[in-house]
Order: sequence, then C-alpha cells, then structure tokens
Amino acid sequence: MLQIIKIEWLKVKNYRTFWVFIILSLLSVLAPNFIIHDIFVKRIPKDAQKLLGASVYDFPLVWQTVASIGSYTSGIFGLLLITLVTNEFTYKTHRQNIIDGWERRDFVLSKLFWVVSLALVAFLTSLIAVLIFGGIYGNTPFSFENCHYLFYYLLQIIVMLLLALLLAMLVKRTGLAIILFVGYVMFLEQLLVFIAKRYLGNLGGLFPLQAGDELLPFPVLEKVEKLADPNYKGPYDNEVYLAVLIIYIVLIVWGVFRKMLRSDL
Amino acid sequence: MSTILSLQNISKRYGAVQALSGVSFDIPTNCVFGILGPNGSGKTTLLGIVTDVLKADTGSFTLMDESPSALQRRKIGTLLETPNFYHYLSGYRNLQIVANIKQQSEADIPRVLELAGLTARQHSAFKTYSLGMKQRLAIAAALLGDPQVLILDEPANGLDPVGIAEVRNLIRQLAHSGKTIIMASHLLDEVEKVCTHVAILRKGQLLGSGPVNVVVARDNFIEIGSADNRALAQLIQQHPAFVQLLPAGDGLLQVTFKDAMDPATLNSWCAQQGVWLSHLQMSRKSLETAFLELTNN
Repeated sequence: MLQIIKIEWLKVKNYRTFWVFIILSLLSVLAPNFIIHDIFVKRIPKDAQKLLGASVYDFPLVWQTVASIGSYTSGIFGLLLITLVTNEFTYKTHRQNIIDGWERRDFVLSKLFWVVSLALVAFLTSLIAVLIFGGIYGNTPFSFENCHYLFYYLLQIIVMLLLALLLAMLVKRTGLAIILFVGYVMFLEQLLVFIAKRYLGNLGGLFPLQAGDELLPFPVLEKVEKLADPNYKGPYDNEVYLAVLIIYIVLIVWGVFRKMLRSDL
Repeated sequence: MSTILSLQNISKRYGAVQALSGVSFDIPTNCVFGILGPNGSGKTTLLGIVTDVLKADTGSFTLMDESPSALQRRKIGTLLETPNFYHYLSGYRNLQIVANIKQQSEADIPRVLELAGLTARQHSAFKTYSLGMKQRLAIAAALLGDPQVLILDEPANGLDPVGIAEVRNLIRQLAHSGKTIIMASHLLDEVEKVCTHVAILRKGQLLGSGPVNVVVARDNFIEIGSADNRALAQLIQQHPAFVQLLPAGDGLLQVTFKDAMDPATLNSWCAQQGVWLSHLQMSRKSLETAFLELTNN
C-alpha cells in the first residue's frame, strides 16, 4: 500500500490543478463560518439571540455548527476526486498502470486512498475550524461534548466521495461526470428525497447524502423545530442513519471493485 | 523457462464482432516474434488480453510458464497501441511513475532517456512532445529496468524514417542481447527485417505460427531469359527439379524448383540442351507477397 501511496503522490506532486483544488477545498471548510457567524451572531439582535440560547459558536454547539456547514460545501472535494479519477481514463493511464505491473485492485486501492485522504483532510480542517471559531467567536471553554458530530461529518464525506468515485468510474469523462455529480449533489437528490418522502414517508430520508444531512442538522434550525415541539425528534434514531451510511460505503466499494475487476479497460 | 507466452484457445467478442476466435500458439524464449495481420485482425486485442487490460471471453494463457499476474507484467516492457502518460508531467516524472510501478530503480531513467534520445527534453511536459517523441518516451518506459521480455505493438508508429530505422536497430540490438521480443505490426517490411518467428492473424483467426520461413513459405525462384523464350519455356519444364513456371514481366520467365538450385548448374544444363541464357537471377518471394497470398486465401 505504501508503494501505491508513493505513486499517487508522484502523480499529483507537480499537478497545479490538484493544489488549486486543495486550497479551494480548505477555504470551503473555513470561509463559510465567517459568513454564518456574521449572519447568526453579529446580525441577530442580542435579545433574539437570548431566545436561541447559546451562540452557534459556543462549545459544545460549535462542533455541530462546523460539521453541519461543512456538509454543505464538501462537494468540492468530490470535484477534485472526480478530476483525479477521470484524468486516468482521459490519458488512458489506468490501462498503462495495469500494463506496467499493477493489479487491477491496486488501481481501485489507489483511488480509495484518495477517498480516505480527502475525507481526512476535510475532517482535520473542520477540527481546526472548530478550534479557531470556537476559540475566537465562542464564549465558553473548550469541551469534547458533541464532538461526535465531526465523525458524522467524516462518514458523510466518505459516502459523498465514494459516490463521486463510482460516478467517475462509470462515466469516465471529466466534464460529464462533474455535471452529473454537481446536479446530483445540488438538486437531484433533494428532488428524489422530496418525491420519496411524499410517497414512501421517512424512508425518503435514507438517500446517501440525505442520511448524512439528517445526522447533521444546523443547530438553529433544530432549535426552532424544538421550540415548536419540545419533544421533536427526527424520524429515525441516529443509529439507523449511521447503519445506512455504512451500508452505502460497503455497497459502493463493492461496486467499484466489481466494475474495475471485471470490465475491459 | 521454455516458453514466454503460451496461449490456449483465446476468444474475444465485441458485440457482433468476433475479435479473436480460439487462438492458440506458443512464443519460445530468445526469439523476435512478430504478430502479423491487417488492421482489425485482432493483434492489439490479443496483446491487450495478455497485458490484462482486456478480459478474454474464453481460453487461458501462461506468462513465463506461470499463470499471469502483475508480477510477470513488471518483468515485461510493454508498449501497447498509443503512448499513455500524464500530460501535465514531464517525461522524467512520467518515467518515475513507471519505475515505481515496475518496482525498478529510478537510477535507470537517465539510461533509457538517452537510448530514446530524449535526454534534452526530459524535463518538458509530455503534452509539449511531438508524436514521435511521445512514442520514444513509450519505448523508453518499456526499456526501464532492462526487461528480458518486450511487447511492442506497432513500435514504429508516428516515427519518421530515421526514427523507424533507429527503432529497428534497437530491436535488433535487443534481440542480439538475448531478449525475447513480441512485436505486433502490419508493416511487413519491418517484420521481415527483424523477426525470427511469426503468428499470422486474419479476422481474429490464427492462420499459422512458428519460424518465419515455415509459416510463410517463400520458395526461392529463378528469373531466366534467352533470345527465344518460347523454346526456353518448353525446355525448362523438362528439368528434373521443375515445379512451376510463371511469366516474370520484361520478357523473363520466373521458375520455381523443388530444391535449392545452383545458378551455375542451371546455366550449364541449359547450355547442354542448346539454349543460351541471356538473363539469370536468383530471387525470393517478398514476405508481403507471401503474406497477401496467405491472408487472401
């Protein structure tokens, strides 16, 4: 595996697009927090804030805030992954890697390495965001309470990256894969969720990205729902959504291996 | 190790097109093995299956007497169809990736770049290379780690006449140094000059395989002429080793004999029969003619 990681590093080390994407991705985790702070802390009158209780950047709420915001912008990591994978098909280097002496499974492992790496980059950047924004904007001392939200975020981004990987492996062309991915993340899944919730009820919340969103409600919206109904609870326990996310991970990894191991390259 | 590659009953279909049907042959060690066939005959499909980028529908093969795996592919230098490299990386960095996949030392990169004549441009991005330079980089990649076996699919593609001659010389040098070279080509001239063995494919079917002169029978023939070719034609058919007589153009006769014929003996025999030859030349059917005869029948 170390050899595979070294080879992947050689592929991106001098690839400018990769580094531009990485910088944008890091900014996409950090920057929205300035805007959210501006809207929900600075612009809301002090009296109204009291109604909402603790600031969204106070510990322990900041864990949930940063994770929830991150889940909206994490798609950019998916775009980077699609670019890395479809590049191989465009340049036919996926064939050359096998010809030169990789097993087909090594190629899949090399891309799964990026899924894990990018998810960890997103996770660690979010952790830094929690420390920065909780430290600067928050008025409460540091606490690990609620830190599980960041792990939910990690799980959601892994599912999202795996979806991007599967799409890139199936479509192979960069432009089309990116359009389909952006379409799916931005509105297609929302549409499917809307239709499914209408006809199938709560099952509609179990789509891959929606399941993650259900685990990461934005604190203020959750509070508003609880203000309306103090006993408000999501349709399913968190364990259900977690289990569904893990099932998606297993299914997509299986699908990617099956596609790569069986088809002509 | 007696055979480098042994194919057993390999078949492959793309939709309605039967790209390969039941192809079986062996490639012995230390030979230059040409896989010949017109465009679309299944050469690249066959090499694609051997290098695991394509999956055969039926059949199996062994590489170096073992079931095929990445381990064997690392020991083979392969250039398949087009040069496939990362466009945004330099030639040198692309070879670094190949060296690491092959688990060979990066220290060999300068040697192969020099062999391919790319030392001066090694740090330029691959996308800035000409077609010929791209092909040279692919040859350099195939030579990394000095493999004992090379698979070259149309190695002269995109090269200018000087480049073609250089590649031909390189293949000869490699063959002399004891390497096994498997080369697919539709350029018969190229194959005729370097191959010791051939397999001939047409529409996915194997027409024959083995040493070049066995597969493509190319009898020696002699071109003769005299003042009276009609008399000469009648006479030559009475020669004890006579097989076939064809007009050769320019008023000459093309005669095939059963055994190798010594021109001096033939000249003397004709003179004894009272016919004096004004033209006598040993000739050999070109591989191209023999190949066309074989693939058209």
